[in-house]
Amino acid sequence: MSRFRPPVRAKGGGFIIDLGVDESMLIRRLTGELRSLLTDPDPDPGAQSLLARLFPVVHPDDEEMEAEYQRLMRDELVQSKLSTFDIVEETLSGDGRVDEGRLLAVMQSINSIRLVLGTMLGVNDDPDADEVTPGMEESAEYHLYSYMSWLLEWCVRALTGT
Amino acid sequence: MPTTLEPTRVEEPDVDEHVQQDHPWIVIVWNDPVNLMSYVTFVLQKLFGYSNEKATELMLDVHHKGRAVVANDSRERAEMHVYRLHEHGLWASMEKDGPST
Repeated sequence: MSRFRPPVRAKGGGFIIDLGVDESMLIRRLTGELRSLLTDPDPDPGAQSLLARLFPVVHPDDEEMEAEYQRLMRDELVQSKLSTFDIVEETLSGDGRVDEGRLLAVMQSINSIRLVLGTMLGVNDDPDADEVTPGMEESAEYHLYSYMSWLLEWCVRALTGT
Repeated sequence: MPTTLEPTRVEEPDVDEHVQQDHPWIVIVWNDPVNLMSYVTFVLQKLFGYSNEKATELMLDVHHKGRAVVANDSRERAEMHVYRLHEHGLWASMEKDGPST
């Protein structure tokens, strides 16, 4: 068994995202699915509730200001998220080398995926309740969520040099 | 008719009011069960230039108290902070700073 090497680490003044072919394909598939959800002109209520966590309410006390904010900024936030998916796809179909800005974009994408998976799984941190909706612990989504959390942790470690 | 110039009245700025006008909005990060503690700390350092110690303190407030005020700014700048927090997936909102906060 070869020595463990962090999946994200500093290399040559930048960073490298060093994933297996299967892992890269999986992440590109997930960003592709999220892209479809975000660009769906007429999302069904299920899709809307999955995406809600990506677009929190900014002005909870003022409906008018909230409407104005969303009118001005929502599309920009969608575009920002889509551009991070572009960087994931470029990076993972290439040699995995990134500068800090591109690693930050990859990190944001990974977290967007986690937020949607977390919503699907009903993740909560109530100490008296199950971590996820009962019955979900063995689901593929739960394993994906755990994997994405692990990968995100390595992004943070690489960026903070810890 | 006065033979000398009247002293010019200089309006003393009310310091409290000045602060209110400059920074009347607070940016709040809310606890959520998905975002990792290490990630939240990192994002607060990255976006606001906080030390690791200060960012960790804010993250722990978010985690234990349910929310933390991470910035205090004009409406326009507060909206920019919220936008950048949302780019990173943090659950952030803003409200007008009141006398009780």
